[in-house]
Amino acid sequence: MFFETVWKLITRYGNFFFEGLRNTLLIAIMAVALGTVLGALMALCRMSNIKPLRWLATAYIEFFRGTPLMVQLMFIFYGLPMIGISFPEISFIPDFQRFMAGIVAMSLNSCAYVAEVIRSGIQAVDPGQMEAARSLGFKKGEAMKMVVLPQAIKNILPALGNEFVTVIKESSVVSVIGIADLMFRTNGVKAKTYSTLECLFVAALLYFVTTFVFSKLVSLMERRMSHDRK
Amino acid sequence: MTGNELLRVEHLTKKFGGLTVLDDISTSFSAHEVVSVIGPSGGGKSTFLRCLNLLEVPTSGRILFDGDDICAKGTDINVHRQKMGMVFQQFNLFNNMNVLKNMTAAPVKILRMPEEAAKEKALSLVRRVGLEDKLNAYPSQLSGGQKQRIAIVRALMMDPEVMLFDEPTSALDPEMIGEVLEVMKQLAESGMTMIVVTHEMRFAREVSSRTLFLDGGVIAEDKPSHELFDHPESPRLISFLQKVL
Repeated sequence: MFFETVWKLITRYGNFFFEGLRNTLLIAIMAVALGTVLGALMALCRMSNIKPLRWLATAYIEFFRGTPLMVQLMFIFYGLPMIGISFPEISFIPDFQRFMAGIVAMSLNSCAYVAEVIRSGIQAVDPGQMEAARSLGFKKGEAMKMVVLPQAIKNILPALGNEFVTVIKESSVVSVIGIADLMFRTNGVKAKTYSTLECLFVAALLYFVTTFVFSKLVSLMERRMSHDRK
Repeated sequence: MTGNELLRVEHLTKKFGGLTVLDDISTSFSAHEVVSVIGPSGGGKSTFLRCLNLLEVPTSGRILFDGDDICAKGTDINVHRQKMGMVFQQFNLFNNMNVLKNMTAAPVKILRMPEEAAKEKALSLVRRVGLEDKLNAYPSQLSGGQKQRIAIVRALMMDPEVMLFDEPTSALDPEMIGEVLEVMKQLAESGMTMIVVTHEMRFAREVSSRTLFLDGGVIAEDKPSHELFDHPESPRLISFLQKVL
């Protein structure tokens, strides 16, 4: 009976769910991509010798990791327009305003986590590597580029993959501002069919399959890297 | 002796927080001199050596290399470091590069040496330490003794004027100490200026011409090696030598 209903939901509302999943992935990819770029810059600031920069970066990271994503999201979508800051509505892209708010909130949030991933990845490299490079006469930046970063990347990439998996799951909160992601679509089907349990089961299944595939890919990548010369 | 003075240390003091590790040290090193630095752990030996190329920044005092005060503001320490080779206790070969790349990276990037010339030079140097078959190996594939020999020739690629050794054999298994000391001995015989922080008393006594006994942040004794080992004066040195010999 249960699986019958699940099957019916998949055959009848499959496209509806998959569109939601597509939007979820779209948001997650954009958020992690932007979050990585911003996070790299943030990590640089966090490790900078310039004190105010370091202080600002630390404050940013602590703030975004210490407040709920939901609050950040609502702050950007509902709060900022109150003081006149909002994204424009573009006629040929439906829901552009919502999507932008969602992506920006997720990116700013992800940035804080990625910054910590990058920082700890760099700091996990034996400081002797930097010292040896400096003792040969390399400048700090050159030593970073040639010696430290290539080793740090092996710590960073798998963690970044895990961040992506986390963001896929966390992104379900964007449904509260009306972005048609997987969670939002699930609620839609639920309201239409009254099959609450079955709908949630389908959503969970889709989330799980997606994150499982990605985390397997990540651990595969991780293994490949550690098999490489150390 | 003062005519070919290479490195001069004046009133060097280094504090970590409230702890004074080096206390007003003054000494100098001439070209082609091989000097050992011995002493109990915690006595400041490594810190002293690391101050010489500013891996540790002195709290006060001056260090003159080729007559230039390298602690002065505006000095480009990178230029001076190119002429000061350093060998570490933990080898610190670049893990992401093979042996050849470890050796050629600095001369090619910093001295703009042509890739081919650097490769040839690397080849002749690895032959000297008997590791010509390891050029394409990665550090993780080498033994400790092999790593340290490569680390020594990596520093030599820059044609340094002085080589600083920070306990180069302390992290090695006993059977590998000999091969590293042998390379260092050859290097000493070739006329390289060397400052060696070491626990190898035989090396200090037989290879180095002068030995400093560093204890409690000061140079407690500074003499020609044979004299220091045969006629130690300070009670601290006498008791130190009794423990280690």
